[in-house]
Amino acid sequence: MAQDWQPDFERLVDEHQAMVYSLALRMTGDRGLAEEIAQDTFLEFDKHLRTIKGEDHARWWLRRVAMSRATDALRRRRVRGMDLWVALNEQDGVTGEEKSSPLGARLEYLLTTLPEAQRAALILRYQEDMMPEEIAAMQDAPVATVKSNLQRGLKLLRAKATSQLKEFIRGA
Amino acid sequence: MEEFERELRQALERRPAPPGLKRRLMAQRDANVARGGWRAWLGKAGYGRGWATATAALLLLAMAGGGVRWELDRRQEERNGEAAREQVLTALRITGHALNQVQTRLAEHDRQAREGER
Repeated sequence: MAQDWQPDFERLVDEHQAMVYSLALRMTGDRGLAEEIAQDTFLEFDKHLRTIKGEDHARWWLRRVAMSRATDALRRRRVRGMDLWVALNEQDGVTGEEKSSPLGARLEYLLTTLPEAQRAALILRYQEDMMPEEIAAMQDAPVATVKSNLQRGLKLLRAKATSQLKEFIRGA
Repeated sequence: MEEFERELRQALERRPAPPGLKRRLMAQRDANVARGGWRAWLGKAGYGRGWATATAALLLLAMAGGGVRWELDRRQEERNGEAAREQVLTALRITGHALNQVQTRLAEHDRQAREGER
């Protein structure tokens, strides 16, 4: 089946651009940077297209490279001393029509204040619906570390939400 | 916690990519192909890094072969030159010997002529 797979770059871009862009956006918190990362990721993907074995491999490859590029971008920005989360707050806003609910919008923002490893684990788990084992395999990390990041991230996020969003929690 | 996770999952639904992302991406891809020139063309035609390595290896091999051949030719020419020099020296030695004999005979002839006059 995998041998019959013919990679079609344009179709793969159509299919996965939202995933790649969302991963980059939620990791970096900057729309412009997220778009840049998405472009770089797909251009790199194009170079490796011949090595891609199928749909699952393509999705796995794109997730891995997008997350890696986003992490690199965060490191570069930190070196330059920029505060990305201000950019996210101002540009992405919390009043955008894209958001499903005020609580959802605040959760998305609060997620960006978590430590990088916990944020990455939560994004992959709850945006991409990946299992801890899949995340561990993708990040070349022990499953226990991923589970720990997920638990700590959830706990911290919930604590932040509880203390900062009492009005939404009460309304829910 | 389950309710919280459900809310988080909902908050983290994928965002649509910005309009024009694909168009800009395809334009960048085309520009890269144009800039890449023959290497990109080779890549698209299926001649990847393996072919480039093989071609480079063949070129190196050809250059090394050419170098060896040039060195062999140079040594052969050196040997030919040495042989020619030996031949010239031998010829000069023979000529010198013949001239010495002629000189000896002339001296002998002169001596006999002087004794006859006396």
